[in-house]
Amino acid sequence: MSERSIFEPELLDRCISCGFCLPACPTYGLTGVEASSPRGRINLMRALQEGTLPDDDPTALEESSFCLGCRACEPVCPAGVRYGELLETWRDHSWKGRRRSPMLRLLLWSTAQTWRVRLMGLRRHARRRLGTGPSLMLGCFERALFPSVSRAAAALVPGASISSHQGCCGALHAHNGERERGRRLAVQLGYDLPGTILTTSGGCAAHLGSVLGGDRVFELSEWLGEHPPAVTPSRPRLRVAVQDSCHLRNGMGIWREARTLLAEVAEVVELPSASACCGAAGTYALLRPRDSRRILDAKLDEIRAADVDYVVTLNPGCLRQLQSGLRRRRLRTRAIHLAEVLS
Amino acid sequence: MTLTTSLRDRLAAVVGPEHVRDDPGTLEAYARDATPLHRGAADAVCFPADTAQVQRVVKIARAERIPLVVRGAGTNLCGATVPQLGGIVLVMTRMARLIELDPGNMSAVVQPGMVTATLAEEAAAHGLLYPPDPGSRTTSTIGGNVGTCAGGLRGLKYGVTRDYVLGCEAVLGTGEVLRYGGKVVKNVAGFDLARLLCGSEGTLAILTELTLRLVPAPLASGVGLAYFSRLKEAGAAVSRVLASGILPATLEFLDSTCLRTVEEFAGIGLRADAGALLVFGQDGTPEVVAADLERIAVACRAEGAIEARVARDETEATALLEARRAALPSLSRLAPLTILEDATVPRSRLAEMVERIEEIAVRHGLLIGTFGHAGDGNLHPTCVVDPAHPGVVERVETAFSEIFDAALELGGTITGEHGVGLAKRAHLESQLGRAQIELLRRIKLAFDPDGILNPGKLAS
Repeated sequence: MSERSIFEPELLDRCISCGFCLPACPTYGLTGVEASSPRGRINLMRALQEGTLPDDDPTALEESSFCLGCRACEPVCPAGVRYGELLETWRDHSWKGRRRSPMLRLLLWSTAQTWRVRLMGLRRHARRRLGTGPSLMLGCFERALFPSVSRAAAALVPGASISSHQGCCGALHAHNGERERGRRLAVQLGYDLPGTILTTSGGCAAHLGSVLGGDRVFELSEWLGEHPPAVTPSRPRLRVAVQDSCHLRNGMGIWREARTLLAEVAEVVELPSASACCGAAGTYALLRPRDSRRILDAKLDEIRAADVDYVVTLNPGCLRQLQSGLRRRRLRTRAIHLAEVLS
Repeated sequence: MTLTTSLRDRLAAVVGPEHVRDDPGTLEAYARDATPLHRGAADAVCFPADTAQVQRVVKIARAERIPLVVRGAGTNLCGATVPQLGGIVLVMTRMARLIELDPGNMSAVVQPGMVTATLAEEAAAHGLLYPPDPGSRTTSTIGGNVGTCAGGLRGLKYGVTRDYVLGCEAVLGTGEVLRYGGKVVKNVAGFDLARLLCGSEGTLAILTELTLRLVPAPLASGVGLAYFSRLKEAGAAVSRVLASGILPATLEFLDSTCLRTVEEFAGIGLRADAGALLVFGQDGTPEVVAADLERIAVACRAEGAIEARVARDETEATALLEARRAALPSLSRLAPLTILEDATVPRSRLAEMVERIEEIAVRHGLLIGTFGHAGDGNLHPTCVVDPAHPGVVERVETAFSEIFDAALELGGTITGEHGVGLAKRAHLESQLGRAQIELLRRIKLAFDPDGILNPGKLAS
C-alpha cells in the first residue's frame, strides 16, 4: 500500500507520540481507549495516509466524528502539534457525500448563503447603525436564538457599526468537512464587513482570525480587555462562574480577559473544569446529543456544587448547551453571555 | 495470527464484550507507544477491571500460547509496550483506584492504572510527597512507572521508583497471584521480589496492586541557575557542589545546542551564547533552601561560571524549569524524527561523556543535543533527523551504538531510566555479558514458563 497525501506530512510528523495530550482529552476521559485520544487519532490519520487503513474504516470514521474538536490537546502539547488543522483536514477528506448526516447537511446548507442567514434574523433583526468603531458580527444561529447578545454587545461598544447584510463566517463548514467553503465564507464576510470585525462567539473569532488574520478579528472579551466599558457592580453582588470557549482559549490563548472584566461587577468563582469543553462543540450537541450530554454532565455537577447565580459563556453554542442542561437538571443557576452580564 | 471467534468470545466472557476490541482502527492505535521507529500489530486489546480478570486472561493466553503485552498509558521510550509479535495488549487503565492512603504509615496502596500525578496530588493533600516524577507524570501510570523503574528530576536526592515500592500484588505467567511485602519499611523475608519486578517491563508478571512509600512534603523549594562557557566547568561544578555536603533536589543541565534551540523556540531570555546551563533546585525548610541555593551558586562561580545566582522570583524560577522541560520539544521541531536516549555515566564523567557524544555527532554528520540530570549522570542525547534522507536512520543507529559503547567504557549504563524493551535489546548483552543474560532468562522461566509475558523484550 502506498503513501497518500491527505495530510501535510510536517503536521503529522510533529507529533512525537509522548501522550501528554491524553489527560486533556474529554473523549479519552470518557472511554479510556487510545483511539479516542489525540495521539491515537493522529495514529489513525497516519494509517489513512499510509494506506494501512481504508477511508471507510469504521473506527476511523467514528473517531473523526466522536472528537469534539475542542483542541484542549493543543496547549498541553510540548511539540506544538496543530491538531485543529489536522482534524479539519481529516473531516474534509473522510466526510464525503452520504457520510454526512441529513441534520449536518441541513445545518451547512442553511448557513452557506448570506440570504439564508439573514432570513434567520428576520423576526427580530438588529437595528442598522453606522459607527466609527469595529463592525459587529451578528452570527448565524445566534441571530435567531440570541439576538439579545448582539444588542448587549452593541451597547458595550458604542461606536460599533451594525449591518444586516452579513452571512456565516464559515467556522461551521470548516469544522465539518468543508474546509474550502469555510474559508470562502470567511473571505466573503471580511468583504461584507470592512475593517475590524468584532464577534461575540469565540469559535467564530478563531476561524475568522485564521483566515482574515488576527489583527482584523476581535472576540468581545478580547476587545473589551483593551477598551474597558463603563460598568456598574451588581447589587447584591452576584456570584458567577466562567465557561471558557474552547477555540478562544485553546486556539487563541484568550481566557483571562473575561475573568478580569467580570471581577469588576461580580464575584468570580473558578469551576475546576472551566477550561474543559461543555459538549456543545459547534454542531456536536446536535449531531451527537448523547455524547454531548455525557461531556456536560460532570460540569453540571460542578455547577450545582458551586451554586453560582450565573455561568457566563463566550460563545452562543456553549450558551445554548448550558441553558438546556441547567433546565434539565432544574438548577437555580442561569447561563448567560458575557455581553449581557456587563451591559 | 488472527483472533479466532472463540478466543475473542472467551476474552469477552472475562472482561465483558465492551472491554475487548479487535477492530483494525483500535489495533492501529495500540500498535505503538511513545518510542519512535517501533511498531507492532496486536490481535486484540483487552481492558481488565480487577485481579481476578487479569488472572483469567493470563490463563487464556497461556492455554493459547499467545503473547500478552501489558500497557499503562504507553508513554515509555523503549518500545516496552509495542506488540511486535502480536497477541493481546492488556491495558490497565481501568484499574486506577487509590485503595488506601495511610498517612500514619506514610504509604499508599494503589491499582496500577492510577496516573502518577494523581497519586502525587493525593499524597500532597495529606502533606506527603511521592517523589518519582518522570517527565510524563501527568499521563503515565504507576504500573508503567514500576514496570520501567521510572526516574525523573528528583533522582539525585530522592532516588527513583524502585526506592518507593514496598510491596505488590502481581499475576505470574502461570496465572498464580503473588503478594509480596506491604506497609513495612524493613522486610528481609525472602528475595526482594518488588525490586525484581521493578523495571521488569511486563516480562515476569502483571502488576495488579502496589504499596508505595511516601515521604513528608518539604515546606519550601527554590531554584537557581549557572551559565558556563564550557560544559566541562559545569561538570566540575556539580562535583564541587556535592563535595561541599549539599544534596540538591534538582541538578539539571542543557548543552549549547539545547540552549540555542530552546531560546530560538521559546524565547525565554536564556543566554544562547553560553556553553552550558545548570539549573539547580533545593527543597526543605525555607532557611535551608535559601542557604543551600546560595552555596551552590558560590560553588558554581568557583568553577568559573559566567553567571550564577538564585532565581529572582517565582516567574523566573518557573521559566527556568520550563526551559529544561522545553529542551526535548524544542529539539523535536527541528526535524521530523526525534530519537531520545538515556545513556548514563558516573556523575564525575558527565562532561567527558558529553564531549564523546559531540565528537560522535560530528563524525556522523548528525545534530545531537544533550540535556539531562547532571546530578545523577543521566544524559539525554537527542538526535533530530529527516528519515526521508537515504541512510540517515542507519547512521543514527551507528552513532547511538557508539554512544552506548562510550557510556559502558566510562563505567555507565546503556539506559538509566527509559528501559531496554525492544529499542535497546540488541545492546543489552554488551553490558551484562552472556552469563548474566542467561541468568535473566532462567529467572524469566521461573515466573513465566511458557514465555507469554511480553516476549522478545528485555532479556527474553
